[in-house]
Amino acid sequence: MSEWLNTLLRSAGLFILTLLLVRLIGKRLTSRPTFFDLVTGIAIGVIAAALSLNMVQNFTVGLVALGVWTVFPALFYLLGIKYKAVRDILRGKEIVLINHGKVLEDKLLESRLTAEDLLGQLRKKNVFNFADVEFAVLEPDGELSVLLNKEKQPATPKTLGLDVGRESVPQTVMLDGVIMDEPLAAMGLNRRWLHTELAKAGVAPENVFLAQVDSLGQLYLDLFDDSIQVPKPRARERVYASLKKCQADCELYALATRNPEAGKMYAESARLLEQAVRELEPLLTR
Amino acid sequence: MTVGAQVKQTLAELKGIQANLETFAQSGGNEEANALLLKNARRVGQVIEKMEKRLSNLEFEEPQYKGF
Repeated sequence: MSEWLNTLLRSAGLFILTLLLVRLIGKRLTSRPTFFDLVTGIAIGVIAAALSLNMVQNFTVGLVALGVWTVFPALFYLLGIKYKAVRDILRGKEIVLINHGKVLEDKLLESRLTAEDLLGQLRKKNVFNFADVEFAVLEPDGELSVLLNKEKQPATPKTLGLDVGRESVPQTVMLDGVIMDEPLAAMGLNRRWLHTELAKAGVAPENVFLAQVDSLGQLYLDLFDDSIQVPKPRARERVYASLKKCQADCELYALATRNPEAGKMYAESARLLEQAVRELEPLLTR
Repeated sequence: MTVGAQVKQTLAELKGIQANLETFAQSGGNEEANALLLKNARRVGQVIEKMEKRLSNLEFEEPQYKGF
């Protein structure tokens, strides 16, 4: 058998074999590899390459090595799922680098990071002042996770003491001009409703690129023809505004009437509407 | 505009609000939000009832402004 045919067959065989063996290890190697994952990957690659170029005297010995380097990691990953001790050896442990705003120098040394490395990693997380950091931990894959001081954390409705309306995901009911029946049905709507809404907006169905319905049943549109301005649905704001107006009206009537009984009734109505305004504000305006 | 007409206008607006709130609640979405919407639709309904009673009194007192 000529040399090149030999190489061809061996390479092709190894290609398929390696492909199958690597499947054993699973997806771990490709998603965020740790250092050990990298070593495993490189070892498998080098052994396969050496074998396919016939750089190993004994082919069977090479195959054994390849088998060990694939079966062992697969085995250890499986063990790691069950036992934490194995996991810690395999992945390494996360190292706390900053705790309570203080840099832990001995941990830095342990992870072989210099002060510049730490500052650089922090900058990648948009932190330019290390004093802003409350807690930072070096993950086994080398990524730094950062918890900022409470006052440096982005404001959320909760920290601002705001109540916001509960909302579910909007459903996409038209894609590329095609009506999606399933999401429509999920919202308890149908094609006729959609056609009515489109007619209300004054838009032809074939001109719609995207259409979404939010949890209050309002339709948001994007058209193929970008020169047409589609008005944003404002039903919530309108309801909220008219509710407030009615409340003000009731107060006005309460003051204007000379009938004491009617005055009491209007005041009571105004109070009821005020409660409604307060309760609906998060849902209708935010 | 007479008081009767003004009250009628407010009443119409309130009915619109109630209908809108109920429509919002019908459009599925979040259970909690739906409950809140329905609760407030009922509240608006109470106000509507009171106003309607008052309106019938007004119409009785000033029959010349009766009607829509």
